[in-house]
Amino acid sequence: MSILLCFLSFLVLGGRYAEATESLTVSAAMSLKNAFEDIGRVFEAKHRGVKVYFNFAGSGTLSRQIESGAPVDVFASASVRYMDNLERKGLIIKASRRNFAGNSIVLIVPSTSRLQVSSILGLLNAGVRRIAIGNPGTVPAGEYAKEVLKHFELWGKLRDKLIFAGNVRQVLDYVARGEVDAGMVYASDAGTRPDDVKIAAEVPAESHSAVVYPAAVVKGTGSKALAGEFIDMVTSENGQKILKNDGFKPLGKERP
Amino acid sequence: MGLSVNLLKKVRGFTLDVQWEVEDGMAVLFGFSGAGKSMTLQLIAGLMEPDSGSIHLNGNVLFDSAMKIDLPPQRRPFGYVFQDLALFPHMTVKDNILYGARGLCRDERKAGVKKIVGLFRLEGLERSFPAEISGGQKQRVALARALMGNPGALLLDEPFSALDNPIRLEMRRLLKDVRRKFNIPVILVTHDIIEAYTMADKIIVYAGGRIRQAGPPHEVFGNPVGPDVEMLVNMAGTASLPLCADLHLN
Amino acid sequence: MSAINDATLFSLRLSLQVATVATVLVMLVGISVAYILARKDFRGRVLLDILITLPLVLPPTVTGYYLVILFGRNGFIGRFFYDLTGWSIMFTWYAAVLASFVVALPLMIKTARAAIESVDKNLINASYSLGHSELETVFKVILPLSRKGIIAGVVLSFARALGEFGATLMIAGNIPGRTDTMPLAIYTLANSGEWSTANFMVLFLTLISGFFLYITNRVGMRAV
Repeated sequence: MSILLCFLSFLVLGGRYAEATESLTVSAAMSLKNAFEDIGRVFEAKHRGVKVYFNFAGSGTLSRQIESGAPVDVFASASVRYMDNLERKGLIIKASRRNFAGNSIVLIVPSTSRLQVSSILGLLNAGVRRIAIGNPGTVPAGEYAKEVLKHFELWGKLRDKLIFAGNVRQVLDYVARGEVDAGMVYASDAGTRPDDVKIAAEVPAESHSAVVYPAAVVKGTGSKALAGEFIDMVTSENGQKILKNDGFKPLGKERP
Repeated sequence: MGLSVNLLKKVRGFTLDVQWEVEDGMAVLFGFSGAGKSMTLQLIAGLMEPDSGSIHLNGNVLFDSAMKIDLPPQRRPFGYVFQDLALFPHMTVKDNILYGARGLCRDERKAGVKKIVGLFRLEGLERSFPAEISGGQKQRVALARALMGNPGALLLDEPFSALDNPIRLEMRRLLKDVRRKFNIPVILVTHDIIEAYTMADKIIVYAGGRIRQAGPPHEVFGNPVGPDVEMLVNMAGTASLPLCADLHLN
Repeated sequence: MSAINDATLFSLRLSLQVATVATVLVMLVGISVAYILARKDFRGRVLLDILITLPLVLPPTVTGYYLVILFGRNGFIGRFFYDLTGWSIMFTWYAAVLASFVVALPLMIKTARAAIESVDKNLINASYSLGHSELETVFKVILPLSRKGIIAGVVLSFARALGEFGATLMIAGNIPGRTDTMPLAIYTLANSGEWSTANFMVLFLTLISGFFLYITNRVGMRAV
């Protein structure tokens, strides 16, 4: 009985303790996972008493959550489309919007693969039976992949081989585990599992629309100033360095 | 010939160790509840396995632990009537009886059922279900079913214990009839002293998993051997009046 | 835009197909295992019972996790299949059947076992003593008398198979036009804001679940 009391009081007090510090909730595209977690640590070190909570998922999913009123302070998407959508609906603070990074698309295969795939056209190879890409309906990486395939006039031919994943890291995982023969992810993602996947080909930038990552403060946030400071850090030299190290193409402080 | 058994079975602190044989006619396994009578029937029928022993019926070996012979119950030619009759509730009277027909072809079965329904006066009930017929009628169905397969011996486990007295008398008459008509050994388990006395050609007295005495009724009741048998037999004293009335059944 | 488009019809057909196949398999395996657990004694019986019941208690995603580890292309079992045939179950509707089968099986076994155990042992003994083999007894005595419990088990299994989500998502994926059963399709539609398109499927699932409850009530209330 006394143990129960101790436990309960710990919960209550623990909760109190969390409330005493300020918190920031950041919804960010799955591909930003490693980079943003690093940036988050730097941010917390700089702002004592602040805790940053991350919510990583496909950009489409995150944008729907915000539309449904999710209590998020910052939104960072892997494509401008979802940000434009939220801006149109007046759900973000326009003035805070920034593009902060770019990325390139790569074609990856399992590290144990013996298939000869050295370009996108190599996907027509009979040995390639399953290709993973993000679901073009909800995942920017999937949209870009679809553009690439359409550019090379492969979309129709490869339709039956395509496996849609819920986010870009799942594409990476499917390839890493050998569930599929090839996949398309961002260059930054490929770098997170160097032992399990190898890059079969770089995708030419002109085969898809530019990959641009915008970030903005969500309207209705309770921490407007802090949210803005987070975005500032992302676009700062420090933040940009972290992004570059993780394989992103830096953009700087440009306004859209 | 006849049925001879030699059984040893230890189960949860109870030891059954019995040997007896029956040529023909009716043998009654008699004793208090829990003495091992029902267990003996189960072992004979092959529904339970003895630790060791042998079972012979009409010269055929059904079980012999030394020779490693153990026929499954399906291959032992017994007609078995269970204590609660075990009529299949989802089958009609006719189907219940037909279920007992072993290895007969279709026409043989049809004729056989008709004959046995007549014998046990079950006409008109063929399409009824067990739940719809009386206790006495259920008894007759159970007997009919057991005899349908032309068994080499009949095993009855306290078959009349759930019946009212008037019906009991009727059933005992019926059983004697059956004995005459089918001419096979009948082993009846009961703890009812009147039944034992009036029906048996041979009484086998059970107590504590062992046989205390075996012989014709007048011998067992007249000269009880040992305290167990004496105790059982003395119960007859309190029931002597109906005892006399029943004697004419013999 | 119509709420019943081709994609919806596909999901509807797929769900019914997966649930039916899974339920048939569950019946065959489930009744057999239930019989063995109910009537036979052997070493490891309790362990078998626990192993089979696990998916009933585990969160579906945990079950899905194990299925992927076992049957994925590089899984313990999956890799043999792949090396032999070049085929992997992942991302196919067979995987959806597998997921539904695994989660529905314990339901069938539990209800069937209870029904089989409730059959009077004397009836089974009577059947043997009348010359009928174990198999004959199963079909002529035990199954007919366990009918109600088995029907309840089948209905429950079908309902569970129809509603399977977590394990299915992990091993079959949620591939539009290939493995998006109704629960998965509803999830995707809700996720992309297309709530009204999901209406038909939501209604269908609600009505059919209500229907299942009605059946199990009717079957349960009729006294023998």
